Amino acid sequence: MSEKNERQLRIVGFLCNWCSYGGADTAGVCRFKQPPLLRIIRIPCTGRMDPLFVVKALAQGADGVLVSGCHPKDCHYAVGNFYARRRLELVKRFLPFVGLDPRRFHYTWVSASEGQRWQEVVTEFSAVIQELGPNPGIGADTPMETAGQAASAFA
Amino acid sequence: MDTLHAHLEALFDDLELVIGWETGYEPLRPTPAFLRSREDLSRLVWNPLCAPNLSVYLPGILKDAKETGKKIGVCLKGCDSRSLGALVQEGFVERERLYVVGLPCPGTVDPEALAEARKSSAPVTHVSFRDGLLAITSRDGTEEIELERVLARRCRRCRHPNPLHADVILGDPVPPRRTEPSFSDVDAVEAMSLEERRAYWEEELSRCLRCYACRNACPLCVCRDRCLAESRTPKWTTQRDGVRDKFLFHMIHALHLAGRCTECGECERVCPVGIPVALFKEKMARIALELWDYQAGTDPAATPPLQTFDPSETGI
Repeated sequence: MSEKNERQLRIVGFLCNWCSYGGADTAGVCRFKQPPLLRIIRIPCTGRMDPLFVVKALAQGADGVLVSGCHPKDCHYAVGNFYARRRLELVKRFLPFVGLDPRRFHYTWVSASEGQRWQEVVTEFSAVIQELGPNPGIGADTPMETAGQAASAFA
Repeated sequence: MDTLHAHLEALFDDLELVIGWETGYEPLRPTPAFLRSREDLSRLVWNPLCAPNLSVYLPGILKDAKETGKKIGVCLKGCDSRSLGALVQEGFVERERLYVVGLPCPGTVDPEALAEARKSSAPVTHVSFRDGLLAITSRDGTEEIELERVLARRCRRCRHPNPLHADVILGDPVPPRRTEPSFSDVDAVEAMSLEERRAYWEEELSRCLRCYACRNACPLCVCRDRCLAESRTPKWTTQRDGVRDKFLFHMIHALHLAGRCTECGECERVCPVGIPVALFKEKMARIALELWDYQAGTDPAATPPLQTFDPSETGI
């Protein structure tokens, strides 16, 4: 990462209410040290994950997207994460085609009791994102984006 | 073409409506035709310029059609019939209410390639097709152009020229150009580096007008007036005209077609600024093929892969 343009890196985390959100809480209660990049959005189940959440976050410049839910076969709603993993794998394979780095997206399964594992997941993924640096997103600073530039384009 | 007229003529009393193609503002541009009376049948045309995928109209027409017990007749090419298959799979179309006339397709014409291949630029008065040759008549005389030279991109990778799920197939079967799924254009994009790919799509999508023609022509975009791209809550895309919102719209279209797209290529054909938008969906189709060995629209009894799951799947 360049010294000049040092923007704080941000990871968006989508955590399922029943397992991974609890797992992240366990990690906190146990005072496991974690890097400070992650911002958590609680979702009812990974089955709520629209692949567009991932694409939109990355296109708009989020530096990483982390999705975590109950282990397969342990879903609170029985099958939500079975649907989710098909969608998430699909979007993971699609990202590089449109020029988004697939390393910026990670999905995994962490249960509510796995505080230690949560610490490892966050630490490892944060290290990857630190290594990759800021995400340029898609279509940032398009000439027509700002009114002033648009006016000068027609001048 | 005479067999098509004769066949529909004989059946017309049992049909509520026939959907086919008729000559548009010029013979080079056949447009969809909705024929309700016997006399109208003479307007039907069928040649390699009949590009529109008519299955796009089926969900709406079946929803609005009166229950007269009569079927709705529809002419479908090979790729169109796969779209019908996918609509049947997802329950948007009741197959038993349709009479499907399958037309083995020699391939469709890319109008821009044709304009380049023609020597004359005079308005076309007549078009005919025989033995792989298009005969195009204008006041400068008749030109013969090989269809292979002016083929649309989608047709170069065609594996299903012969319709599936048809009630009757009129015409001789056409040998498919490809026997295996072909993704050479996707490969060409993937040969670029990640940075180049981002630049490539930013460049291509910067031309996008967000006219949504690609969405409207898509037979599997069934949300119609409730499209996510136009919803205000949640507001997925804004009214700004930057590449970012254009990109998001195309991601909405592509992701909503994941595991559903039948690769008819209509989105790309109708694009007024020539963005290769079908590549997004071809990539999706390829992922579905790799992950689940699934090809949309080929088996009307199959469940689309993202509407089901398999607990025994490992590795993902």
